[in-house]
Amino acid sequence: MLAKLAATRLGHMPFHSRYRTPSLSIVGGSALPPGSERCADARAEGRDVDWSILMARAQSGERRAYGRLLEEIAPYLRALAARRGVEDADIEDRVQDVLLTVHAIRHTYDPARPFGPWLVAIAHRRITDGLRRQTRRRARETPLNPKHETFAAPQANLEEAEADSRALMDEIEKLPSGQRQALRLLKLEQRSLKEAAAVSGQSIGSLKVASHRAMRSLRRVFARRGHET
Amino acid sequence: MITTPELINALSANAAPVRRVRPLARAWLWTLIAALVLVLLGISQGVRPDLVDRLQQPSFGFGIGASALTAILAAVAASFLSLPDRSRLWSLLPLPALALWLSTIAYGCVVSWVGLAPGSVTLAEIARCFATLLVTSVPLSIALLFMLRHGALVRPEAVASCGSLAVAGITATALTLFHDLDATVMVLIWNVGAAALIVGLAGVFGRRMLRAVAPRPVAG
Repeated sequence: MLAKLAATRLGHMPFHSRYRTPSLSIVGGSALPPGSERCADARAEGRDVDWSILMARAQSGERRAYGRLLEEIAPYLRALAARRGVEDADIEDRVQDVLLTVHAIRHTYDPARPFGPWLVAIAHRRITDGLRRQTRRRARETPLNPKHETFAAPQANLEEAEADSRALMDEIEKLPSGQRQALRLLKLEQRSLKEAAAVSGQSIGSLKVASHRAMRSLRRVFARRGHET
Repeated sequence: MITTPELINALSANAAPVRRVRPLARAWLWTLIAALVLVLLGISQGVRPDLVDRLQQPSFGFGIGASALTAILAAVAASFLSLPDRSRLWSLLPLPALALWLSTIAYGCVVSWVGLAPGSVTLAEIARCFATLLVTSVPLSIALLFMLRHGALVRPEAVASCGSLAVAGITATALTLFHDLDATVMVLIWNVGAAALIVGLAGVFGRRMLRAVAPRPVAG
């Protein structure tokens, strides 16, 4: 489970590391000195032109340009979703929703206009819709979390089963030692007759007889109790 | 769940060439369809007998012109609003024409109130008015829905309300052209009432209907 999770995380690593700082108009550069701000603006503008060209080529059916465009906007959308307050667990869902929408209405982009506002408008709308759906779902559903259980192990929440198993264990303790050992090896530890014979040093035949007798006497004890209650 | 890189691969493998949306061309196409519907209705039902006389009255001409203009401007606004990166202010475009249309009706109410002539409101006439209303508004709504379906994923409310205003404008124009709505009450009912009905229905169902015809992305 953990290994799988780590693998998925690692699978995303190249994206995160390569595009750690997506910067377009929405990413403010106010903390930077004026010169570098201008530089960042120019870079963002250059990227916008790149994306615009890629989208224009995608519209005419160039798959490679389209794949590159989607790969480049995905980390940008991730940053946008995080900024809008989407929870970490939902970010990939939101990003995929935006990518699917971009795909569905890619014919509404006009290459004569900048690409950024088009993308940001779609992303904002889809992210807002997603947040709204999430709020609605939270309002009518209560997630079942570990706190709702008294103990983590499922058996611990079945009180009767707990009492029954203790009574059974008590009765097993009362059996003669040969029968008890046979029962433990064959039924509780579920070993084969051969293994049990090797562990206990008894013959297969005598183990069979002992476990049969143990089962019979337990059945008798519990049948009697069942009649009494 | 599919991972994002897998999704990107699936989508880019699926990138068929697309035709770009040209909003003005769509609005004009819809206006042509609307004109065609009106012409067909005129041929099948015949215009009202006193149309030529009435058109010479400025208030009547203004009313018809304003409702048709509202429809065209609302169609233009809706097709611009359906594009993600266009300004929301496009929704204001039909408002001057709408104000002109409503004020002509209001002017008619105040200055020349024509009472209901006895026996003029017959069930058959109401049924004919309803038929005109349905024959105009239903096909034009469907045409507009399909033309603007990409707007469902971005701005469903604004697109639906502007679109319904366009349909309402054409419907009111048709009702005025083809039926003797002389009594002011009838003008009010069949203009404002029909428009309010169409816009109201779009307010309730428009979003859902747009969603139903919205383009669905297919991954893989």
